[in-house]
Amino acid sequence: MLQLKNLDASYGFLQILWGVSLFVDEGESVGLVGPNGAGKTTTLRTIAGLLTPTGGEVSFKGQSMNHVPAYQTTRKGISYISEDLNLFVDMSVRENLLMGAYIVRDREKQLETLDFVYQLFPRLKERESQLAGTMSGGERKMLAIARGMMSSPQLLLVDEPSLGLAPHLVTDVFNSLQKLQEAGVTILLVEQRVNATLEITDRAYVLEHGRIAMEGPSSELVQDEHVKQAYLGI
Amino acid sequence: MKEKTSRSIWEKITDNSAASVVIISTVVLALVTGLAAGPSQVINSIVTGGMWALLAVGLALVFGVMNVPHFAHGESFMVGAYVAYFVFSPIHQSLQESPNALLAAIAPFLAMLVAGVAGLILGVILERLLFYPLRVRTKSGWVMNAFLLTVGISFIMTNGTTLTLGPNFRGIPRYWDVEPLEFLGVRVAVDRVVAFFVAIASIVALWFFLRRTRTGRAIRAVSQDETGAQMMGINLNFIYPLTFALATALAAISGASLLFMFQAYPTVGLKPLYFAWYVVMMAGLGNVVGAIVGGFIVAVLQTATQQFVGIAWEDVIPTAVMIIVLLVVPSGIFGSEVKGVQEQ
Amino acid sequence: MNAEQKPNAGTWGMITAGLKKIGFSPVGLVLLGIVAILPLIPPFNQEHMIRWLIMGAFLAAQAAAFDFTSGYISVVNFGFAAVLGLGAYTSAILANKSPVLMVQPGISPWIGIWIGAILAGLVGLGLGWLTLRLRGIFAAVMAWFVGIALMGLVRNLTDLTRGPLGMNPETLFDTAANLPYYYVILAMMLVVYVALRLVTRSNFGLAFKAIGQNIEAARASGINPTKYRVINFALSCMFAGWLGGFYAHYFGSLTPQTLMHTSKTVEVLALAYIGGRGSLWGGMFVAFPFVFLIEFLRSNLTELPGLHLVLYGLLMVLVMIFYPNGVAGLYAWVVNKVKSSRSKGE
Repeated sequence: MLQLKNLDASYGFLQILWGVSLFVDEGESVGLVGPNGAGKTTTLRTIAGLLTPTGGEVSFKGQSMNHVPAYQTTRKGISYISEDLNLFVDMSVRENLLMGAYIVRDREKQLETLDFVYQLFPRLKERESQLAGTMSGGERKMLAIARGMMSSPQLLLVDEPSLGLAPHLVTDVFNSLQKLQEAGVTILLVEQRVNATLEITDRAYVLEHGRIAMEGPSSELVQDEHVKQAYLGI
Repeated sequence: MKEKTSRSIWEKITDNSAASVVIISTVVLALVTGLAAGPSQVINSIVTGGMWALLAVGLALVFGVMNVPHFAHGESFMVGAYVAYFVFSPIHQSLQESPNALLAAIAPFLAMLVAGVAGLILGVILERLLFYPLRVRTKSGWVMNAFLLTVGISFIMTNGTTLTLGPNFRGIPRYWDVEPLEFLGVRVAVDRVVAFFVAIASIVALWFFLRRTRTGRAIRAVSQDETGAQMMGINLNFIYPLTFALATALAAISGASLLFMFQAYPTVGLKPLYFAWYVVMMAGLGNVVGAIVGGFIVAVLQTATQQFVGIAWEDVIPTAVMIIVLLVVPSGIFGSEVKGVQEQ
Repeated sequence: MNAEQKPNAGTWGMITAGLKKIGFSPVGLVLLGIVAILPLIPPFNQEHMIRWLIMGAFLAAQAAAFDFTSGYISVVNFGFAAVLGLGAYTSAILANKSPVLMVQPGISPWIGIWIGAILAGLVGLGLGWLTLRLRGIFAAVMAWFVGIALMGLVRNLTDLTRGPLGMNPETLFDTAANLPYYYVILAMMLVVYVALRLVTRSNFGLAFKAIGQNIEAARASGINPTKYRVINFALSCMFAGWLGGFYAHYFGSLTPQTLMHTSKTVEVLALAYIGGRGSLWGGMFVAFPFVFLIEFLRSNLTELPGLHLVLYGLLMVLVMIFYPNGVAGLYAWVVNKVKSSRSKGE
């Protein structure tokens, strides 16, 4: 479904990604792990259309996405949950969620998806009219993910959802992601918590210094010596 | 943290202590002025308030959504005035020869409508032709660059108008040839009443647009988080020209509705620009609701100054008040909704 | 390459290095020389030409003072003309001997100009302190407001200033000739440029750069951004007031609306930006041909009033969008091209 071939990406003169190649099949849950500054966020931003690659190719469902801007990648079925969340702080939870369904013209469909999302995240329904800017960290992450789901995406790009969260909240977030995968959503998950990521994903890539260092089924990577030493603290 | 629900404006205002203080003082000031100078001054303040509110709203919108400090807003006012003049005058002429009560009644509204449309078109052209290339080319310092661009636009438009249409005043004594209305013992010209209601109607229309329509919500989303808005599928290259067009149209309608008061000449936009900026600075940059309330507050301040202060200090008092505001609440009385107030 | 061929060795090297320190490349020095002797050469020795040269130098000095703020701390002083007017009126009032006005201090203009400068500097200090801890746009708008307030004050305190009727302060020299004034303003222009250039080369200049590039890092190094911005702003205003004093006692006629109006600030602003922000000399270079062009158009295209201003505005907008480095940027690019082709040729 999603394919990156030899992708190069830079911020100005600083090149971050060097020939990154990876793929995500429909229905899969794939992890992208690696140390800070490796380029994980850059990868997601490039796929989402917020950054134009300087080399290589991004294709989604066979179509080249290199020059597709961010507002159009959403329309093509890619939803990006950024690390910063980018919530609309002066809008309520409900308003944020409905904004997530901006590209859905059918009001019925919007409300249907809203119900679906509320089922997945009941706490959001409780705080329906609360301003997004006043919610706790964990709740905001939930809201961001939920909002990303409102456009009924085929591919969900999630960037560091567990960052800054207390452990029990992390569990909640990862559970939600698993539920989403069960509902048929393809997920590309970027995370620093390698252990948890390898638990819930089918496959994973390890990104180091802008290059893919390792790849394979998550169950195998968990056993790998390098991974164990570098990332699992074993 | 206290749980904030999606609050009404009233709740937002009463929560904010600075705003409460200012609003209460304004009401008191208005009453005092009214007592000293008579109810006509109170009516005056209200009508003027509507004027400034309409102008300030467009300015707040452009700043909040596009992060552009708009210094050519007064020229949008000017364009509206001129368009209204060139639409109304010929009709007025023909009405002298062959009177038609219906036409005489709606002609001014026609002028305002055409001015509004002209404003929309002008806004789109300016945004696409000038702001878009600037945005593409600016890597840092967008706010300052955009500000300078608007200064340049203002310069070109005022001098361009002098060049093409001459510096003379084009004006009309009044829109409707009727007796002034009586309200609470005060005589108010019909033109002023209509101008006030046009302002209110425009503001209300804008309000509904921003709150209740899909595109309006998209505009609000862009003003709160640009990247987030893009991620939702909102096309910034549609929102920007639309917002700018709206703001320009509002200013143009204002200029058209006040043709009888300000007339049309190349530099007519200066005073409206000054007051619009004054309101926005005081209420909070980018704060659209604050701009509306602020318009009325400034109008009261203006009337009170005229009433109680000698003419020498007329220009100084507003500045002194602004200095106090900057010292106490630099992000504005109602809070700034623009990215950051402290120095970057 | 042996020592004789190296252009940087010996006395010549010392001279160019010294000049560079005060902001003059050899090319700059040549231009300055030309501008200095121009009024002695026909056809430039006609009175109206010398007047234009005076305006050129006057605008050039203003552009440098303006660019010092806009180019180095990214703040647009939108009340610049009003501050200049403040200096002008202060000096004019102090020089007044006529009983028509409320006070007649009768202080010599040669002294009054300095007092006007100090007052202007103090206003800049206060305004800067108030607004420069906030975003740049606040300073710009507040300077605008203060400028309008100042203009209004001057217009309304008729006992002091005769309001819109204007003042006619005495001139610096008794002669009707323009030439002595030209050398005075040229000297003032030089002082402004060299002084500001030295500041930008000093620790202050380093601080400005640091603040502009990475404000957090600057703060971490112990630099207080607000303090440096305020000093910059006050200096710029002081020079503006100083130049205003010259204007008062050269032109001999002051009115608030022609001197202090925002549009006058915009003219200087346009010069500074077309010249190239942060260059200090760019606006100065542009000022002279600008004045001549304006005057030429004004006298030859009387049926099209304000055309020159429209073209000027268009130029400013185009430069701002498409070539933000201005004339100075163009010059740097040319010099670069020449240098790189020279080194390629060796």
